[in-house]
Amino acid sequence: MTKLKLDGLQKHYGTVAAVKGIDLDVAEGELVSLLGPSGCGKTTTLRCVAGFELPTGGRITFDGNEVTMLPPERRDIGMVFQNYALFPHMTVRENLRFGLEMRKVDAASMERRVADVLGMVQLTSMETRYPRQLSGGQQQRVALARALVIEPKLLLLDEPLANLDAKLRDEMRFFIRSLQKRVGITTLYVTHDQAEAMVMSDRIVVMFDGLIHQVGGARDIYDRPATRQVASFIGLSNFVTGRVAGRDGSLWRLETSFGTISCGAGIAPGAGSPATAMVRPEAIDLSAAPVAGAFPGRVSERFFLGNLVDYRITMSDGTLLQVQQPATAAFAPGDEVHATLPAERAWLVRDDAA
Amino acid sequence: MTAPSPTARPPGVRPRWLLAAPVLVTVAALIVVPYVNILVMSFRVPSTTKPYLPGFTFGNYTKALADPDFFYFELLFDTLRLALTITFLCLVVAYPVAFHLARTTSRWKGVLYALVLSPLLVGVVIRSFGWIILLANNGLINQSLKAWGMAPLPLMYNEFGVVLALVHVFLPFMILPLMGAIQGIDPRLEEAARSLGAGPAKVFWRVLFPLSMPGVQSGCILVFVLSCGAYVTPALLGAGRVHTMTTEVITLLDQFLWPFGAALALILSVVGLAAVAIYARLSGRLMRGLA
Amino acid sequence: MKGGKLLLGAAVTSVYVFLMLPIAIVVIASFNSGKYLKFPPEGFSLRWYANFFGSQPFMDATLLSFVLAVVAAAVATVIAVPAALYYVRHAGRWRETFRMLTLAPLLLPEILTAIALLFFYYQIGIGTKSALGLYLGHVVICIPFFFLQVTSALYNISPSLEEAARSLGATSWTSFRRVTLPLIKPGVINGALFAFIISFDNVSISLLLKGVGTTTLPMQVFDYLRWDFDPTTAAASTVSIAMTLGAVILVDRLVGLRAMRY
Ligand SMILES: Nc1ncnc2c1ncn2[C@@H]1O[C@H](COP(=O)(O)OP(=O)(O)OP(=O)(O)O)[C@@H](O)[C@H]1O
Ligand SMILES: [Mg+2]
Repeated sequence: MTKLKLDGLQKHYGTVAAVKGIDLDVAEGELVSLLGPSGCGKTTTLRCVAGFELPTGGRITFDGNEVTMLPPERRDIGMVFQNYALFPHMTVRENLRFGLEMRKVDAASMERRVADVLGMVQLTSMETRYPRQLSGGQQQRVALARALVIEPKLLLLDEPLANLDAKLRDEMRFFIRSLQKRVGITTLYVTHDQAEAMVMSDRIVVMFDGLIHQVGGARDIYDRPATRQVASFIGLSNFVTGRVAGRDGSLWRLETSFGTISCGAGIAPGAGSPATAMVRPEAIDLSAAPVAGAFPGRVSERFFLGNLVDYRITMSDGTLLQVQQPATAAFAPGDEVHATLPAERAWLVRDDAA
Repeated sequence: MTAPSPTARPPGVRPRWLLAAPVLVTVAALIVVPYVNILVMSFRVPSTTKPYLPGFTFGNYTKALADPDFFYFELLFDTLRLALTITFLCLVVAYPVAFHLARTTSRWKGVLYALVLSPLLVGVVIRSFGWIILLANNGLINQSLKAWGMAPLPLMYNEFGVVLALVHVFLPFMILPLMGAIQGIDPRLEEAARSLGAGPAKVFWRVLFPLSMPGVQSGCILVFVLSCGAYVTPALLGAGRVHTMTTEVITLLDQFLWPFGAALALILSVVGLAAVAIYARLSGRLMRGLA
Repeated sequence: MKGGKLLLGAAVTSVYVFLMLPIAIVVIASFNSGKYLKFPPEGFSLRWYANFFGSQPFMDATLLSFVLAVVAAAVATVIAVPAALYYVRHAGRWRETFRMLTLAPLLLPEILTAIALLFFYYQIGIGTKSALGLYLGHVVICIPFFFLQVTSALYNISPSLEEAARSLGATSWTSFRRVTLPLIKPGVINGALFAFIISFDNVSISLLLKGVGTTTLPMQVFDYLRWDFDPTTAAASTVSIAMTLGAVILVDRLVGLRAMRY
């Protein structure tokens, strides 16, 4: 098992900076996803690790051994491509043997390893088929098997589920994750689907515009986003701006134009400086009667979402909050309500826009 | 470890330009250098006994363009006129076929496509030969006319024969790009135009033809350029009685007047390319206007 | 509407007849017993074929054409395949310039290229004494057709296939040999076929560059037609058509069916 380390990795295409210097450590056997909007540099990062792109700065090490300038065939990686890239002129079996032949594995172990991996991906009966004779999901599993059969140091996947339909995508998430755990291989997984990243990863790396904004578990990223972009990329959020009034232990007081709220923070803003707090719509409580620490507002719109009701609440100063409540609670547009923003669910984010 | 420089290559990767080297060497040695050479040659002093005399002159160009009885000027004009006629006829003849081929769902489509391509597999000489058998003074058509008691027609050794045979030779070069362009046009656009009240003629002129302009343009340029440079067919079907720049240049070569031949050949290419450029500008504007 | 369809059908049919007519006429004339093709034909005869196969100049010309076409196609392979690889996979800033250079022999009038080569050969002293100049001329005009075929074949295979091979441990050469080459093989063979036909039918280049006392099959036909009418040329033409057709069918057998496998 292998540790992967990126140190100040940069990739420029002419004047375009695709990756602007990222540091990342991936532990042995860990599955880390790279998550971010289109064009943020996920694929570029992955391709640098694979050796298909040469970084213009920084270094990449596997278990402390520098591989930055090594050609891909000498890195010992397994890669799954978005379009699978199965060799169309080879059968499933020949596809799987390809990497083993490159490693000059002897015939007997080759047979055994191919059979083992085919069993793992449940494709034993499809050995002699050509890729075009397989369904999308089966091709996907062959691609996975081909990457795993060589027992690489590192497994790299670039949006491997993007070409599958929704139901199959759900199944494959769990399939890939459990296989990865069983094999125990260090894995870098690129996706722009937040649900996929949350379900599958030990840790998620959230990237914007060539930079890492946050690295953390699904909970961290959802409840304690580092930046405004992270918060708005993942799930729904309200942003409340104001001035830092002071600090009570681990909580900060933020003076907003509808009242002062308390919130947690991963940053340490100076007293009096402007700041932005993030509150998830489902974290806000609504009540008809005044409650201590709640702020008055008025329901301006209401949408029924099945399991939830989605409200737009106009606060006393005109701030609009999105609030989601279980469908049992019932307020009508125009109702006076009192909104509680619980301190443990409000979080100060870095806001470069503010 | 210092940061890798962007130009560093991983060990074991051969420089990629090695792949480009063979073709670059070949084209440089067998196209670029000879063409530069011919350009230099066109400024040499011609001689009938050796390739050229010492010294340089503009004489070849002044002789070609400002010759008092305008012989070569008219020749150039005739060549371009012939090329334009051929291009226009090819366009008119090719369009229905290209349209049919692009839109047909018949199971014979493959065969029809092969029929369009197959003349390209038969050399120009052979195709011209076919026309000679048909059009010659004692050829198939005239013999048949005679047999039916009619007067023979002058079908060959004139522009008619040359144009007819060249239209035949270049037709596939018009059909193929046109077909490609028409295939790219959504048939629903034609239906939409019909539903908006346009008759078939309107649909053609307002929708189909403008949208097929890229194909029209490539086809016309191709046929025009090929027609300007055609030699075999004019030589065979014109048989010395139809003169074009190319037949004249070859005659000059036989007389060993190389520098003058070089000048004529270059004038023809430059004028031909200029005509193409003007045409591309014009039809480009047309396409934008209609887009 | 019906009338329009009918009109289109008639126009299209007559164009197909127009396309095939002169070729069919040559073939028919080669089997005609009389010197001039009449309607109705005078009778069936193979005497023009006997003439053709009995004529040493025609036999020499056919052999030269065949060898020339095979050599031109083979040399063009070595030049055009790497060029296409470079263009599709690696070319950077000079990409379009590179393409234009490679296609130049196609874009420039062939007869002008022949003239340029002729002068050049005399300048550097090869002249037309040896056949080398002729071979080089044929190679150069074959390159663009070959290049176009291989380029389109390469565009049809995803670059991630080569990357997959590299990720599995193949060097760039191995991944070319084991993955790229098998996949572009139909394109390469088609390219070779094109090159063969282009060379086999060429007149403009051969007209000026053929060595003293040697000639190619189309040149021989051309010369015959210029001076005299002799149906032996019809037999020669038909043989030439048959040889091209043979090459096409051979290639179809080689890759046409094999390509169906995936
Ligand atoms: N070969 C290239 N040349 C120039 N720019 C490139 C190249 N490859 C990528 N880029 C640019 O680098 C940036 C990052 O691209 P990358 O493919 O890594 O994005 P991504 O995060 O994978 O996006 P997606 O989710 O759409 O796949 C983009 O702005 C892209 O335009
Ligand atoms: Mg990507």
